[in-house]
Amino acid sequence: MLNTDGTKPIYVQIADWLETEIMNGHFQPDEKVYSQYQLADMYTINPATAAKGLNLLVDENILYKKRGLGMFVTENAKERIIQKRKNQTLKRLIEEVVLEAKRLQMDEMELIDMIKAVQFEGGES
Amino acid sequence: MKVIECTDLTKSYLRKRVLDQLTFSIEENKITGLIGRNGAGKTTLLKIIAGYIKQTSGEMSVFSQKPFNSLLVSAHSIFVDDQMSFPSPLQLHEILDAAGSFYPNWNMPLAKRLFDYFSFDPKHYHNRLSKGKTSTFNSIIGLAARAPLTIFDEPTTGMDAAVRKDFYRALLKDYLAYPRTIILSSHHLEEIEDLLEDVLLLKDGKNHLHVSIEELKEWAIGFKGAEEALMNWTKDTKVYYKNQIGRNTVYAVVKNVFSEQELQQAKAENIEITAVCPSDLCIYLTGETKGGIDDVFVDR
Repeated sequence: MLNTDGTKPIYVQIADWLETEIMNGHFQPDEKVYSQYQLADMYTINPATAAKGLNLLVDENILYKKRGLGMFVTENAKERIIQKRKNQTLKRLIEEVVLEAKRLQMDEMELIDMIKAVQFEGGES
Repeated sequence: MKVIECTDLTKSYLRKRVLDQLTFSIEENKITGLIGRNGAGKTTLLKIIAGYIKQTSGEMSVFSQKPFNSLLVSAHSIFVDDQMSFPSPLQLHEILDAAGSFYPNWNMPLAKRLFDYFSFDPKHYHNRLSKGKTSTFNSIIGLAARAPLTIFDEPTTGMDAAVRKDFYRALLKDYLAYPRTIILSSHHLEEIEDLLEDVLLLKDGKNHLHVSIEELKEWAIGFKGAEEALMNWTKDTKVYYKNQIGRNTVYAVVKNVFSEQELQQAKAENIEITAVCPSDLCIYLTGETKGGIDDVFVDR
């Protein structure tokens, strides 16, 4: 289930997965998310690693802590996740794409056409 | 609270120094992986912690006591390996009963459920078990004892892949329900790394590295690219591993001291950047200076 080839730390994968769960609407604002122990059990990982994933989302204001009660989804969690993924994840992917296009000596139009074609295919299916 | 505190610990066997001024400490209720090459001193260290053998010099303190000849340490710890000896006239179910009287936190229902799950015959004898079954039975004792300090020395020797997976899962589940200090030694870091909080890496009887598993995962970085391009990035730093691939491509592992921007810059120079998985890193860090296996096959 988890990608263990070492390219992405497990705690980041846990945080990513929780983000996706929130984006999909499986967790609503002010709803309690899984505890570090539940996550540890679900993924067979050390609870300290799971806690690190949760704390990553607390630092980004996607989750908030209620002492003794657990972690809850913040009001604007979904928007924050979308913003973050656009500014960071998607941007990095595009940088990779542009770099590869450069290596292949493609010009801007060719690249944009390719993106459009992929998007078109995606729309059809 | 620190369960184990070890200072300048040295153990010599005849002329060989197995542990050499080893210093480290282990916090309560953490799972620590003890990693090292064959002969690095792992088993010797674990046996000193458990009070089985005495150090030559230096201090070892377990639950604030010297473990050798300590009843307190014996009652609060269990040492599991494939050499555990049980009285040979006892049948397996009698061994489980006896274990219950030795360990105050012994949980018989857990022992019985694991015993049944792994299809043991209660009337069987311990010395007639296969290698894998011996390890499995000993691990059941180790888990059901619920000792505040639980030491597993190569617990999965001989277990098949399915049993190993089940054992690690059982270990984690029981740890979540009943947190305790666990030390796990293994040659297969990739199998246990997800379970661990910390890693203690031994090299030549010394504490080579003692960090959290997350730090270990980000400790090093692999560069792959043209040799000249790589030189800029590796010339000022120690290269832990280097491998020539094809005519002009080199893969080099260095300590990860670079900023995000620097790495972006390296990527722009057509250098591929990869994470170095902990088990590979441990091999590089504990590597001998005699070169690699390929050098054995070089014609002279």
